Amino acid sequence: MGEELKRIVGIAIPLIIICIISGAALTASYDLTKGRIEAVEQQRINESLSIIFPGASFTETGDYYIATVSGEEIGYAFIAGGRGYSGSIKTMVGMYKNGTISGVNIIRQSETPGLGTRIAEPDFTNQFSSKRIWDVRLRQDGGVIDAITGATISSRAITDIVRERAEVVINETR
Amino acid sequence: MKLDELTKGVFKQNPIFYLVLGLCPVLAVSTRVDNALGMGLCVFFVLVGSNVIISIFKHRIPSQVRIPCFIVVIASFVTIVDLLMHGYAPELHERLGIYLPLIVVNCIILGRAEAFASKKSVFDSFLDGVGMGIGFMLAIVGIAICREALSTGKIAIFDCTIVPTFTQSPSVMMTLPPGAFLTIGIIMALINYKNIRKEGR
Repeated sequence: MGEELKRIVGIAIPLIIICIISGAALTASYDLTKGRIEAVEQQRINESLSIIFPGASFTETGDYYIATVSGEEIGYAFIAGGRGYSGSIKTMVGMYKNGTISGVNIIRQSETPGLGTRIAEPDFTNQFSSKRIWDVRLRQDGGVIDAITGATISSRAITDIVRERAEVVINETR
Repeated sequence: MKLDELTKGVFKQNPIFYLVLGLCPVLAVSTRVDNALGMGLCVFFVLVGSNVIISIFKHRIPSQVRIPCFIVVIASFVTIVDLLMHGYAPELHERLGIYLPLIVVNCIILGRAEAFASKKSVFDSFLDGVGMGIGFMLAIVGIAICREALSTGKIAIFDCTIVPTFTQSPSVMMTLPPGAFLTIGIIMALINYKNIRKEGR
């Protein structure tokens, strides 16, 4: 019994030591990069906000931002998320008070490279600008957005994500 | 021959075209040259790091638990790369997406740890890691050059155009997984053809 225990401990100790060293290395690199990663994420959100409402200032309330230009509320900015074709999509949406989209800026997506990833390109996202949120559907679904050839599912996902979240926000703010 | 440990990974035992290991990220990430470069660099770093560490501790790792030990070392390196890239190269980090953490299960890295680093000296393992890393990078970038050129009609690295648009009707298929299989298959066939010709003489 003593021999057997010795053998098992002899196997386990090196593995435990390696795990402890790895854990320490990971903790160190996590601490080292934590501030930097948070700054990058925050900068990403700020960039998105200034793209969809250029020159506006923002106040965060609950789960959306109120955009004001020279003291006057002009609209709302909010983050919408949902499932795409392969993974989740996160996007910043700007909406004027009357329910018209001011702009859409994709924050994160993991669609098919070269096909679905084109939903993040201006050629596609510019289509949303000055559209009424209730019309944000693909053309083949009776809306006003042209899908990307070969990426209909990604295109439909992003239009649905934007419309559904926009409808919730406009109901909240009325 | 020390130099041989370095060059074998690049040519004679190229991880993609000869060993045919780690094809999953190659299929997924070789759609664009800049993604392929990023992936190649990450794999290079993890491969060299894990080869060296495993080689240093090779006598202390009991053979019964060597695979868990290797995986812990590899996963730590991958996570460090992942965190660093998230902080310092957020755009590339985003584009590589899930394939960055998936380097953990890349067979080249575990394969080199098991077949080489756990048996050979630290310096040889370092050279092996460098060679295999360069070989992987050359292969994935080569495939990406073919695929990006054929699927977008141009080549651009980080928004800087290297080859201007040469066709208005590029092939969408080349950006999808079949395009990667076709490219790898054709390059592999050319290499084999050359090798067979060489042996025949």
